Amino acid sequence: MSTSATPPRWAETLLRAILKSGDFDSVSGDLLEEYRESIHPVRGQRRADLWYVTEVLGFASRSARLWGTLFGAAVVARNALDWFAPPLNFQTRAAVSTYLGVGLLVASGFCAAWRSRSAVAGTVAGVTTAAMGGFISIVGAVGLLAIWHGPQTMMAIRGSGGLGEVFTLPILMILPGLLLGTVGGIAGAASNRFHSA
Amino acid sequence: MADILGSFEQAVLLAIVRLREDAYGRAVLKEVQSRLGRDVAAGAVHATLARLEGKNLIASRLGPGTPVRGGRSRRFYRLHPKGLHALNDARMTVDNLWHGLTWPLKGSV
Repeated sequence: MSTSATPPRWAETLLRAILKSGDFDSVSGDLLEEYRESIHPVRGQRRADLWYVTEVLGFASRSARLWGTLFGAAVVARNALDWFAPPLNFQTRAAVSTYLGVGLLVASGFCAAWRSRSAVAGTVAGVTTAAMGGFISIVGAVGLLAIWHGPQTMMAIRGSGGLGEVFTLPILMILPGLLLGTVGGIAGAASNRFHSA
Repeated sequence: MADILGSFEQAVLLAIVRLREDAYGRAVLKEVQSRLGRDVAAGAVHATLARLEGKNLIASRLGPGTPVRGGRSRRFYRLHPKGLHALNDARMTVDNLWHGLTWPLKGSV
């Protein structure tokens, strides 16, 4: 056992941003104790660091699970609507789904930052929400395609932007997730401070 | 009626019962891992502890840290009477389900 082995500093900073301000000491202490007593002596520095980062990412995904699921479900619902009930004009749907997506990403950042009192938590939540939502939407699209792939459906898919858009757009959402999560995070952290003052 | 507990919640509550005064986050994690016989993410245990505390099944207090933790505090947990009641209910439900059957089950069912 070593009391000097240290996990990646950035991962600890990330953990601090994700957790409620009162929970960081006890939770990071538990992780550090496990890292030093059980993981590092057996696995060595690099694999112990990997373990630590995985644990921190687990905390991040748990904190954004609700928002990520909602975001993914919204994208899957939009895809299903476009494929099975294609409109003549996509403008209204596009506007509604854009506002909904923006709202979910900002809200995820706001809530995370409100909880932890750190604006960085909003950035992390926005990215995690977009990543998780993207994953869900890709899996959802594959599921829909596995069941319905007739010529009429494929024509509707081509008319709504094509399969390329279905599978690349979720990945491109990471950047808006970062920006909008940060916006929500700044608002959430400021609101919490204002509320506690 | 007492809260209905999931199996992971039962594992965490029983770890707190077994550990008594030493039931802090990492000790609960190790106990749960040992009883379930598999790796469990620390985040899963912490999320469950927070949820159980939110349901008033357990209570917590902060205690002193140790050098290996870099001096960071430990959060110790103890069972509330409501948590004890929920655990007893969970056990009774399982016993009722198994009543009249011999374990392990044998042959084709």
